[in-house]
Amino acid sequence: MSEQYAFAVLRALSDGRFHSGEAIAQQLGVSRTLVWQAVHAIENDFGLTVYSVRGQGYKLAEGFEWLDVAAIRAGLSPVAAEALTVAVAERIDSTNSQLMQHATSSDLHGLVLAAELQSAGRGRLGRRWQARLGAGLTFSLLWRFDKGLAGLAGLSLAVGVALARALRALGAPVMLKWPNDVLLDGKKLAGILIELSGEAMGPAAVVIGIGLNLQSPGEVDQPVAALDQAGVRVGRNALLAALLNELQQVLDAFAKQGFAAVREEWLALSAHRDSPVRLSFSHGEPIEGIARGVADDGALEVETAAGMQRFHVGEVSLRPLS
Amino acid sequence: MELRKLKQLIQLVQASGIAELEISAGSEQIRITRTVAGTPTVPAQLLPAPLAVVAPASATAAPAAAPSPSANPNTVKSPMVGSFYRRPSPQASAFVEVGQPVKVGDTLCIIEAMKLMNEIEADRAGVLKAILVEEGQPVEFGEPLFVIE
Repeated sequence: MSEQYAFAVLRALSDGRFHSGEAIAQQLGVSRTLVWQAVHAIENDFGLTVYSVRGQGYKLAEGFEWLDVAAIRAGLSPVAAEALTVAVAERIDSTNSQLMQHATSSDLHGLVLAAELQSAGRGRLGRRWQARLGAGLTFSLLWRFDKGLAGLAGLSLAVGVALARALRALGAPVMLKWPNDVLLDGKKLAGILIELSGEAMGPAAVVIGIGLNLQSPGEVDQPVAALDQAGVRVGRNALLAALLNELQQVLDAFAKQGFAAVREEWLALSAHRDSPVRLSFSHGEPIEGIARGVADDGALEVETAAGMQRFHVGEVSLRPLS
Repeated sequence: MELRKLKQLIQLVQASGIAELEISAGSEQIRITRTVAGTPTVPAQLLPAPLAVVAPASATAAPAAAPSPSANPNTVKSPMVGSFYRRPSPQASAFVEVGQPVKVGDTLCIIEAMKLMNEIEADRAGVLKAILVEEGQPVEFGEPLFVIE
């Protein structure tokens, strides 16, 4: 029962200041016992630290900016504000799953869904996207294209360019790893997962899911980076608005010209251009070579012993020069 | 604001546990808000669509009997270059198994290219007769994936 109130109490505490149990109880119209139970739920279920000090009340160890539609909209450019519908969920299974359902059952376009907590946030192929509440930003964007599946090749690289533009403008010197990992100091800062449904010849509905670390997400299964390591302190709402402004521009350009619109920019942001790389696959032997560039459909061009080859699949790792 | 769009957005808020949603179209602004915890709310429908139920015994790859699948008019072909996945995640059960009936629009597999996950749907109804590629295998444009008869 108390868990139902956990989010309401967490929201009250999110400013990182002391709040008395009584004040919160009054504000929410519940008993102090319920507030106390909610604080326990915040610690146990969400893994956050709450200080409890006699005479002062409760304080979240690290406050964070709560997602707020009005604050997000305030940061949008006029064009993006016109094109986008912004929604915020507190707790949801997965923003991508929800938008995928609406991709087929509605004709909504430009719908943004951000969430404080995803109970089943997904990365590629069912890997979980792990995020500590308030330490990251997770959202999805539903977009529609007139083109069919073939015309959408390269979209995931283009989305990486949009994120990199916004993050660099904020002062984080990010790079891109093919196809679209956003790296800071060589470690993953943001991940992108794109799901699409549609006909081979179009039109297609695309759901772009993005997860980004503002602070370290805690224990995860790979080396990760966070924006605060680059000294970037930005509110989550302002950050989301900045990302959406660039996404809107890049997606519009992509609709007209495809990946060619941002290909040069992608190359300039590439973390492994002209570097020795290993490309691994779920089937077959890995391939080694020098990453050269990307084709107009986003395929990675690798110079191998057998000549220049293009790849649409594979996991890139940089290998040291021998 | 079109009434139809508004209806779709209200449905979205109801179905997904979204706390608040704000839209502006030109000078118009609309805000849809759910009541905060404290008052009962519509339970969020968080369960994903049910997956395939029955897995028949013969769930192996293409039967040797299938003659030249690419010439078979009943094949479902890949619309793009990528990797073939029969299940949404490594632990999950497959979207479809051999011997199972499929309807138009049922998800058959995912083709991934450059982190673009493309759900391939059945374009006709019938019984899934064969799966022509292995999990994780790279596929070419137009490569036959399934036989549905």
